[in-house]
Amino acid sequence: MHNMPLIYGMNFLEKSMLSIIPETVIIIFAFMVLFLAFFEKLAKRKNSYYLSLIGIGFSILYVLMLSDRNIYGFYGSVVFNGFEVFLFIAILFSGMFTVLMSKDYMENSGMPAPEYYSLILFGLSAMMFLVSSNNLIMVFLSIEFMSICAYILTGYIKGDTRSTEAALKYFILGAFASAFLLFGAVFIYAATGHLNLYAIHSFLENISYAGSNKAVGGIGIKIYISAGLVMFLVGLAFKMSLFPFHSWTPDAYDGAPTPITNFMATGIKLAAFAIFLRIYSLIYNFNIMNFNDILWLLAVFSMTFGNIAALLSSNIKRLLAYSSIAQAGYILIGIIGGGFYGYSGTLFYLLAYIFMTAGAFAVVVIFENSDIISLDIKRYAGIGYKYPFIAAAMSFFLLSFAGIPLTSGFMGKFYVFSSAVKSGYNWLVLIALLNSAFAAFYYIKIIVKMYMPDKEPASPPLNSSGDNLGIISGAIDDGLMLTIIICLILTLLMGVFPQIFINFANNSADLLWRI
Amino acid sequence: MDFFIKHLLSVLIFFPVVSIFLLLPVNKKNEWLLRNLSTFLSLVEFIFSLYLFIYFRPNTYKFQFVEKFNWIPSFGASYFLGIDGVSLFLILLTTLLTFVSLLSSYRYIKTHVKEFVILMLLLETFMLGTFAALDVLLFYLFWEFMLIPMYFIIGMWGTGNRVYSAVKFVLYTLSGSLIMLFGLIYIFIMHYDQTGNFTFNILRLYNTHISDGLQLILFIALFLGFAIKIPLFPFHTWLPDAHTEAPTAGSVILAGVLLKFGVYGFFRFAIPLLPRAAFALAPFVIVLSVIGILYGAFVSIVQKDLKRLVAFSSVSHMGFIMLGLFAMSAISIDGSVIQLLNHGIATGALFLFVGMLYERMHTRQIKDFGGIAKKAPIFTAFFMISVLASVGLPGLNGFIGEFLILVGAFRSYPVLTIIGASGIIFAAVYLLWMFQRVMFQDVTNPAAENFEDMNLREIITILPLIILMFLIGFYPMPFLERIDPTVLHFLSAINHHKAVYNLIKLKTGLSNA
Repeated sequence: MHNMPLIYGMNFLEKSMLSIIPETVIIIFAFMVLFLAFFEKLAKRKNSYYLSLIGIGFSILYVLMLSDRNIYGFYGSVVFNGFEVFLFIAILFSGMFTVLMSKDYMENSGMPAPEYYSLILFGLSAMMFLVSSNNLIMVFLSIEFMSICAYILTGYIKGDTRSTEAALKYFILGAFASAFLLFGAVFIYAATGHLNLYAIHSFLENISYAGSNKAVGGIGIKIYISAGLVMFLVGLAFKMSLFPFHSWTPDAYDGAPTPITNFMATGIKLAAFAIFLRIYSLIYNFNIMNFNDILWLLAVFSMTFGNIAALLSSNIKRLLAYSSIAQAGYILIGIIGGGFYGYSGTLFYLLAYIFMTAGAFAVVVIFENSDIISLDIKRYAGIGYKYPFIAAAMSFFLLSFAGIPLTSGFMGKFYVFSSAVKSGYNWLVLIALLNSAFAAFYYIKIIVKMYMPDKEPASPPLNSSGDNLGIISGAIDDGLMLTIIICLILTLLMGVFPQIFINFANNSADLLWRI
Repeated sequence: MDFFIKHLLSVLIFFPVVSIFLLLPVNKKNEWLLRNLSTFLSLVEFIFSLYLFIYFRPNTYKFQFVEKFNWIPSFGASYFLGIDGVSLFLILLTTLLTFVSLLSSYRYIKTHVKEFVILMLLLETFMLGTFAALDVLLFYLFWEFMLIPMYFIIGMWGTGNRVYSAVKFVLYTLSGSLIMLFGLIYIFIMHYDQTGNFTFNILRLYNTHISDGLQLILFIALFLGFAIKIPLFPFHTWLPDAHTEAPTAGSVILAGVLLKFGVYGFFRFAIPLLPRAAFALAPFVIVLSVIGILYGAFVSIVQKDLKRLVAFSSVSHMGFIMLGLFAMSAISIDGSVIQLLNHGIATGALFLFVGMLYERMHTRQIKDFGGIAKKAPIFTAFFMISVLASVGLPGLNGFIGEFLILVGAFRSYPVLTIIGASGIIFAAVYLLWMFQRVMFQDVTNPAAENFEDMNLREIITILPLIILMFLIGFYPMPFLERIDPTVLHFLSAINHHKAVYNLIKLKTGLSNA
């Protein structure tokens, strides 16, 4: 057994249970939602919707209650400290937005609700397990758990060929990625004899301080570890949708039900980045191979490819999918920049990214629900005058993606870019900035469509109730409105008064290294 | 009152936002109220800004009306405002032109009035913030967000190819600003490496030591951001499109205020942060400015579209201003700052007249006009004064600025100055010729037969600008005595570097020998 800091007088089981309470709460609620389906009277859509929200609320409550704890459970396989607090809250927010977006969407599509919501909750718990896992096996198990939920949810629209196709593509490619991940883990285990990340960390530390390879097992170790780390990176890069491993993203994002697209774009990406951040800072940082150069290439290609592809796409969901590939490239810059400043910047950007993405998807869902505007960007023509508030919110989220000041996107970009300059990656930052300028074009393209249609708005008139309030004839779902308002406020707040959020991220990054 | 004066800059910056909240509940059908209320609020804003002028102490270079609060301690960014003699007048110009352009658009803006006035006021906030900010991050925040309201103003109320122009304008300036951001971040990080403190306080960043080679690279990064905004010669291509297609109010603000940000950026950021690079590249910039002067003038001569002509004349005038700034003598920089105001006033007025012509005749082609002078004497008189001010007739404001610039620049760059000075002659050619074709000659267009003269609202719109033309032309002292100390301090701060730069040049010259 490893030397674990003991929490006062708590035995092994209590401590272990404490470390996974937020996840447990979510899982319990997931089962409760699932059980609703047994009873005909209770199996209404609304019940599972509210129950899921309550579950997420409870989980947030537990996270906040435990927020100053530093717990190692299950022989150090699971960690819970400030780093997790930050990410748990972000993940739970992403889950909450997904649930909030789903209500009307489920109503319209007529799919069975309890299973859907319980899968979202299971997926959430898997993400939280992933973020708090500190053991290669744990990482693999939670990634698999999370992915399976995502595969099912992607193909949830029964009978829709696009959805099924998306799920199948996602599943097959995802299975490959998981195989790589597992293979990488095997290599690392073979080389170091440890599964615990901290143990691997100290093992590698010994090697690099020992200087000569002979002392600890020869050159073979380095080769094994390098191979392992590269394969592990492939597995994670798939989930982060970085450039050469991105090809599932547009199809899966496009085919999935839109709330699930949001779930994949925010939750899964966040969880994958978080675990990558932990593993990277613990393992990759040693001079075994120059991983920063690899990441450099991945970041540059992700940004450039994502932006070019987004420019060419005419479907809003595909556009957001490609833009999320580009955003992943920007976020990666923070990790490359490294150090306390860079990691904290990465976390800040991730948080900002969640709110802007969720907001944008909520707007897409609104228009999808109302059946008047399809996913084609052309159909967005003139909506700026019809729905001033929603269009203004959408513009704000798009400007945030583009990194215009006053939005969280600018602060996030500024944060990660300055961390990269600090570490001397000037070219990377320059390329990223040029990419941002380039990307602004297609974000602005949508705003142009919304506010400056070529001719007077041609989109079909609404139920002729002459509505001037910018709300679609009362049919708009409170959940969606709430999502948009929360995202709007937080995007603005993070862009203008980011200090509280920076402190939060700093706190979290600080604990990343406290072993 | 004391509190008001102490926080005057914040009041000025945020009053338009407060105005927006006053305007929000107004029903969008009630256009009368929207127009008048917004104009009234911008007049109040202008009156507030006059307090700056009254309480501003002349004969000192120190920043006044300073406000400083912590904003983002993690980055060392603060809410740090303050003005000196240069930004004082630019702020006054901004508040005046916002009022003028709101008043001018009663007839021009017919649709979406509510959105229009809100965007104008929003724009005003960001313009004022940019001039008042002494914190680089704060400056950048204001600087870049300013694009968004301007983009909507061009794109939603423009004419012709408005969307193309708006997008071109945003993408051009955005690319420049992002490269500039790289330079600013780099300096910020260098300062951190040298002192161990994160700070965005511009006064502290001035002390960053940057090696000569690096200064050149960073200067180019900052140069791109500011030069596109000015716009300096090869970067000007967005300007004619944006100016031509924008609504009158947009053109007035664009020419009157937005172009000034580039010059202001050089004055406040690029040159003092990177003085040696500025000295090294000054001849290069001056050559570009002179090319801009001549190019703008030549292209103006052949323009058929009235608004495009005025737009290209801006390129020429901005060239003068950059010539004065980079000649780096006290007189020429004084002239540049005065000329910044002059250009805002005179070109703003010209755009207003073009707008009035367009409102009446629905055309901007010079050939469609003619013989208007007989129909509209007041219009002709005021238009004439504005044209002459723009040409640089002695007794009007343009003369003072151009004269100072040429006198100041002549010592260091005699040949280029003489070539540049010919731009004044060409200005007379294209402006007076244009005036002749538009106002005199025979009536060719039947629409000109019943050309209405200016009404009271239009006279009120234009009058403040005409008064300023005469005021600066006859008695520029109140302006110069506030600008001069700032400029002298600016020069003394960078002249130290000039000595070092000359020494290096001397040394390298010796080692080559």
